[in-house]
Amino acid sequence: MDVILGLRVADATIIATSKAATRGITVLKSSDDKTRVLNPHNLIAYTGEAGDTVNFAEYIQANIQLYSMRENDIELSPKATASFIRNQLATSIRSRKPYQVNVLLGGYDVASNTPTLNWIDYLGTQVELPYAAHGYAAFYCTSLFDRHYKKGMTVDEGLELLKMSLKELEIRMPLDFKGYYVKIIDKDGVRDAGSL
Amino acid sequence: MSDPFSLNGGSAVAMVGKDCVAIASDLRLGNQSLGLSNNFEKIFQFGDKTFLGLTGLATDVITLSEVFRFKHNLYKLREERDIEPKTLANLVSSTLYEKRFGPYFVSPLVAGLDPKSNVPFICGFDSIGCIDFAKDFIVGGTASDQLYGLCESLYEPSLEPEDLFETISQVLLNAVDRDALSGWGAVVYIVTKDKIIRRVLKTRQD
Amino acid sequence: MSRRYDSRTTIFSPEGRLYQVEYAQEAISQAGTAIGILSTEGVVLACEKKVTSKLLDDDGSAEKIYEINDNMICAVAGMNADASILVNSARLYAQQYLKTYNEDIPCEMLIRRVCNLKQGYTQHGGLRPYGVSFLYAGYDERYQFQLFTSNPSGNYSGWKATSIGANNAASQTMLKKDYKDDMSLKEACELAMKVLSKTIDSSNLKGEKLEFATLSLSQDKKKIIRKIWKASDVDLLIKDTGVLDKIDEE
Repeated sequence: MDVILGLRVADATIIATSKAATRGITVLKSSDDKTRVLNPHNLIAYTGEAGDTVNFAEYIQANIQLYSMRENDIELSPKATASFIRNQLATSIRSRKPYQVNVLLGGYDVASNTPTLNWIDYLGTQVELPYAAHGYAAFYCTSLFDRHYKKGMTVDEGLELLKMSLKELEIRMPLDFKGYYVKIIDKDGVRDAGSL
Repeated sequence: MSDPFSLNGGSAVAMVGKDCVAIASDLRLGNQSLGLSNNFEKIFQFGDKTFLGLTGLATDVITLSEVFRFKHNLYKLREERDIEPKTLANLVSSTLYEKRFGPYFVSPLVAGLDPKSNVPFICGFDSIGCIDFAKDFIVGGTASDQLYGLCESLYEPSLEPEDLFETISQVLLNAVDRDALSGWGAVVYIVTKDKIIRRVLKTRQD
Repeated sequence: MSRRYDSRTTIFSPEGRLYQVEYAQEAISQAGTAIGILSTEGVVLACEKKVTSKLLDDDGSAEKIYEINDNMICAVAGMNADASILVNSARLYAQQYLKTYNEDIPCEMLIRRVCNLKQGYTQHGGLRPYGVSFLYAGYDERYQFQLFTSNPSGNYSGWKATSIGANNAASQTMLKKDYKDDMSLKEACELAMKVLSKTIDSSNLKGEKLEFATLSLSQDKKKIIRKIWKASDVDLLIKDTGVLDKIDEE
C-alpha cells in the first residue's frame, strides 16, 4: 500500500512518493525512495510487487540511458519514454512471469516546453493526465484533485494541493506512510523538493 | 469483476446510412469503478474513409491500434493506395486469430466506405477474429446490451448523413447512461463520399 | 595471387582489401546517376532511369525512388533487386521504432540500422554484399532536412549535395562549384537538372527517363510533403531550366 501521486502544473510536474517500505505488517525502512531519474527531464515513480519494482525501474533507466549514449546525447522525450515503458509492460503482461509494477512518469518536454504526467499500470495501460495516483491513494486523492485542480497552477499552488491530499490520506487511511519525498520536473530538469 | 473485457470500460457503435456510415465511441477510461481519463479515444482512422473502433482492455486497445498503424503504413507503401474496409476487416480478423490461444481482450468494429465505389461497409469481430458482417448496425463494449436495445428501436435504413448522426448519437448517449463503465464524453464520425465529419459530444460527466 | 581472396567477402587480401566489397562498389559506379541536393526549404533527389523501353509495362510508379516512411525517401543506385530487400528492411525498422516510441525514427538512426545490415554481409555469412548505394533524403525534429549516402561497405555520410552511380565524380565537381548554402528548393531542382543534363546523354533528357522527388514542409510547417514527380512535371522543369536549348546551341 504505497502512495505515489503526480500533479502537472503550468510549467512543471510534481511527483510525491511515500517513504515507508513495508512487508506485511512490518515497516522495513522509513526512507525508501520509490523513484528513479531516467534522463535529465524524466522521472519515474513506481509501486507494486517488491523486487519487481526496483528491477523494472532500473531496467527502464538503463535502457533510456543507453539510448542517449548511442544517440549522441539526445534525450528521449517524455512521450517516447512513456511509450517505451508501456511497450515493455504490455509485452511483459503476456509473458510467463509478468512484472507487477505500476508507474507514474513525470516529464518535461524540452522541444515544446510542456510538462507531462503519464499514468501507466502493470497491464500496459497508458494515459496522459493532469493529475494521477496509483493504488488506494487514488480513491481519496483524485476526488480532491477534481475539486481543487485548476489549469495553469503555479508550482507553489501545486505543492499546496499536494499537501492537502497527503493530509487527507493521513486522516482516511489506516497506515503511517512515514512521510513523502517530493520531486519536481521542469525546464531545468529533475530536482528534489525535500520531504513532507 | 476481473473480466478483462470490462476492466477499463468503454463502448462503440457503427451504423450504415444512405451512401454513408457512422462510427461512434465514448471517451472514458477507468480502472474498475474509478474513472481515470475522459479523453481516451477508441476510434482510429486508416486512410481516407476507413475506421476501426476498439473497445475492451485498454492496454490491448493501445497495442492493437499501434499494430494496425504499423501494418497499414507498410500496406500503403507496398500497394501505393488506401486500404479498403473489407481488406482491413480481414487484416483485423487474421491478426486476432494469430493469438487464438492467448487472445487480445477486445471487440473491434470496422466501418467505412469503399475507396472506389463508396459502398458502405461495417462489421464487428469477437476477440479471436470471427467476423460478424451486418448491413444495419454493429455494437461493442461494456454497454453493448444497451446499444443493441437502442439500435433495435431507433435505427432505420437509408438515413441521410445528418439524420444518421442524430440517430447514432442518441443511441450511444442513451446506452452509456445506463452503463457505469462507459460515458464521460463521446466522439462521432460520419463518413460520406466527399467528407469526414468528426464531432465531440458533450455528455453527462457521471 | 590476390585473386585467391576474391571469392570470400569475409577475408582480407594481403594488401588489406575486401575485394567483393570493392567489386560491389564498382558495379554501382556503372549504374544510373542519382543526385541529391539539400536546400533551405527541403531536399531534392534526381536520377536517371536506365531501363526504359516502349514495351515496358510502366504502371507509373517510381523505379529508383522509394518512400521509407512519412518523412524519408531514398534513391537507389545499383542492383534493384537488392535494393528492394533493403528498402523493405528500412520500412520495417521505421515502423518498429514508431510502434515502440510513438515518434518518427530519427533519420540517422534508421540509416545506421540499414548500414549495419549491409556491413554484416562484409564480415560474416559467406554471402555476397548488397550491391546498392543509397541517397537518403529525410527530415527530423532535431536536425531538420538532411541528405545522406550509404554504400555496400556499410559506411554512410551526410552531405549538402552529392551524387552516386555513373559519372559521380564529374557530378560532384559540378555540385561543388555551383552549390550555394542559401538555395531555395526550386533552385536546388534546377541545379540538379543542370548537373544531370551535363552528365547523361542528352537524348535521355526527358520526363520518362528521369525521376525526381522532393521533400519539403507544408505551408503551415507542420507536415512533411513527399512528392515523387510525374514525368510531365519533370518535362516542365527541363523547359524551365532551358538545359536542352543550351545543348542545341553548343
